[in-house]
Amino acid sequence: MPAIVVEGLERAFGEVRAVQGIDLEVAEGEIYGFLGPNGAGKTTTVRVLTTLLLPTGGRATVAGHDVVAEARAVRGSIGVALQEAALDPLMTGRELIRLQATLQGIPSEEGKRRADDLLERVDLAAAADRRVGTYSGGMQRRLDLAAALVHEPRVLFLDEPTTGLDPVSRKTIWEEVRGLNEEGTTVFLTTQYLEEADQLADRVGIIDDGKIVAKGTPESLKAEIGHPHIELHLAEGSVAQAEEICARIGKLLPPKDAKAVLVEVENGAADIPRVVRALDEAGIAVESLELVRPTLDDVFVEKTGYHLAEEIEEEAEKEPVEV
Amino acid sequence: MDASAAVAARNPTWRTNLATIGALMVRAKNELLRVPGAAIPGVLAPTIFFLGLNGVFGALTQLKGFSTGSYESFIVPVSMLQGAGFTGAAAGVNLARDIEQGWLDRLLVSPAPRWVLLAGTVLAASARSLIPATLVLIVALALGASFPGLDGLLIAYFMVAAMAAVAACWASTLALHFKSQSAAPLMQAGMMALILTTTAYAPIALLQGWLKSVAQVNPVTQVIDAARQGFVGGVTWAETWPGLLALIGLLALLGTLALREMRRTAV
Amino acid sequence: MAINLRVIRALGMRSIRQTFRRPQLIAPIVVFPTLLLAIQTGGAGAAVNLPGFPPVQSFLQFMLAGAMMQSLMLAGNSGGIALAVDIEMGFTDRLFTAPISRFTIVLGRLAGTAALGLFSSLWFLAIGLIFGAEIQSGVPGALIAIFLVTSAALAVGGIGAAIALRTGSASVVQGLFPLVLVVLFLSSAFFPENLMIQPAQTIAEYNPLSLIVNGIRSPMISGISASETLYAVLTITGIIVLGLGLSARALRHRLRAG
Repeated sequence: MPAIVVEGLERAFGEVRAVQGIDLEVAEGEIYGFLGPNGAGKTTTVRVLTTLLLPTGGRATVAGHDVVAEARAVRGSIGVALQEAALDPLMTGRELIRLQATLQGIPSEEGKRRADDLLERVDLAAAADRRVGTYSGGMQRRLDLAAALVHEPRVLFLDEPTTGLDPVSRKTIWEEVRGLNEEGTTVFLTTQYLEEADQLADRVGIIDDGKIVAKGTPESLKAEIGHPHIELHLAEGSVAQAEEICARIGKLLPPKDAKAVLVEVENGAADIPRVVRALDEAGIAVESLELVRPTLDDVFVEKTGYHLAEEIEEEAEKEPVEV
Repeated sequence: MDASAAVAARNPTWRTNLATIGALMVRAKNELLRVPGAAIPGVLAPTIFFLGLNGVFGALTQLKGFSTGSYESFIVPVSMLQGAGFTGAAAGVNLARDIEQGWLDRLLVSPAPRWVLLAGTVLAASARSLIPATLVLIVALALGASFPGLDGLLIAYFMVAAMAAVAACWASTLALHFKSQSAAPLMQAGMMALILTTTAYAPIALLQGWLKSVAQVNPVTQVIDAARQGFVGGVTWAETWPGLLALIGLLALLGTLALREMRRTAV
Repeated sequence: MAINLRVIRALGMRSIRQTFRRPQLIAPIVVFPTLLLAIQTGGAGAAVNLPGFPPVQSFLQFMLAGAMMQSLMLAGNSGGIALAVDIEMGFTDRLFTAPISRFTIVLGRLAGTAALGLFSSLWFLAIGLIFGAEIQSGVPGALIAIFLVTSAALAVGGIGAAIALRTGSASVVQGLFPLVLVVLFLSSAFFPENLMIQPAQTIAEYNPLSLIVNGIRSPMISGISASETLYAVLTITGIIVLGLGLSARALRHRLRAG
């Protein structure tokens, strides 16, 4: 049974149609990445799936329960860490997790034990009895995540879990999410970061302006757009010959400058040795070589006509190989 | 989560609900104890108003129609109930802040029933209201108000706690409807108007004009008269039950409105 | 000089616009005192029968002056809050760098507060007339009351501005609101001093606000009294001087401290 099923989901606020009829399915045990810019409708979708908002059209089920008719059952099966970390600055970390346990109907002793375990797991044991108001952004997110896990939910919703965090904190959260998924938790993750979707998600849905513009695994989406290409920088005078050789291996692309050769290859990194050997046999010296893969941003641009976000982590995955 | 736990979450037991209400009340105390000085205005205000009202209008007891010569005794229950009004309104303001800061979402996505979430806010206000009420009482007794007797005291405290619950329901309704702390003045003013358009200043026979008409139909008049009885005379069931009935009615009405708003947060 | 007057007018208009465009600022100044007036008139109105109560047509007629006083004090407090918000938001810095006399900033804010005082005096006079409280000394009496309320608003505004300039914090000025009410209670605003209970009575007798309230009240409940009017004017003048002096000092301190 799929963990999440969404059919024709709509949510309007007066005139504004935040979600305009989306369909998606998340398999049990999967990490699903919901990727899109600010204002695309990601948070609205999450709020509908977590029963905080009623849909104005369509339907959705989470963990087998309808989000409207069986809202309470949904709430018992999900863990939620929202974009605005819903924390109380006056409480300590431990108090917060114990309150969450009480809200989930977990008896007091058991709640205490789980709180201790979770605080240890997210590396907040030392700060557990300090007020949340004194925590850094990263600590607050980790606490939010720990609280979402106290009742061992089947489905975990994370709304932009690493927005505003430094790279180290971001990696920590990623590791935690992977770990949870390995234990069998389904994760529905919204993000505006390409790398996050690429790194974590088994499958991705790209949303823009309330509609899903692309769905699939990151690899299949990128493959749809095009194949990776190898960018070669050569010594003066050998470009023409190199082009001839490379044309036999893959399709030539327009070069960026006079000393570069761009060749599209079907097999990605696996084709690099072929290219290097062929050039070597011809006696051509290669100054540098890069494998440039299409990114999810390229997918996004293809589908919507503009780039995803200003803070794009890396323009492309580059694997510089010094030859 | 295994199937039985999911079923448990769908149908929380009374034990679970009580535990949740208790946990929410415990959290509410942080406002008083963990924010330096936050408690002071709410705790002092009723006493300051008591002193002001007594100093200004104290001579009214010289008029025929006052059952007591001590204005302190006459208005101390009013000040206690005013404190209840402030406390309940403050609970609503805190709820509005919790909504603005996203805290309420945490409670809403949990399996706890909506009435349990509301009960946490309301009962916390009731408990808290006893503090300013006690301060006013002590000051009034020091200034010569008559001790209401144990029965009169218990009735007065009960009325205070229940009035705070009424005020908390009113303020919560506004908080959930407007989802903003800017509704705070309306929360406070509404309670002030409700409590003062009664026999707050003088017995019904001495009230003038429109206020007399309003006081005659305002259910809080019954509440004030019931809370006042020990301070100005003896306690009788005849004086008590109208006040109880008024509180039950107000709680039923405002509680229903608040619960309705709590259930409509997802619309 | 001409520039300064224009600036004062412009800033005054701005402060008036701010107040009337935001209902939650108007409410404390007009709605709350009106509500309290209605409640206290109905609740304590029988007081006119007390021996020693000044001869009045009705309790409402007596209370109007108190309501006006309450309203103008809240207007002064509100003006102080608005100035403190301007300081917190950095708006005053913009004004400080303009080629105008710095003090016009204070005067502009005070012009706004005085306008609010004028408005509230007219409001309560209208309420009085609608609900049957005559002004005993007729039009001249009304004009005196309006003049006193407007200038008292200016005076209280000066104190509010001084506090705002000194502290630069809106929440501090806001926190003084309960104090304003207490000071008002301990005056003749809501009851004749001679009938108040000790020690409130003694405090009210020495409270300068009582002199102002009595000056506003006297033309309403009886003839125009030269002495009451004079005492009121002197008290208001004293507070204006105090307020402007404190404001000027606080402004200098702020400009020097940066």
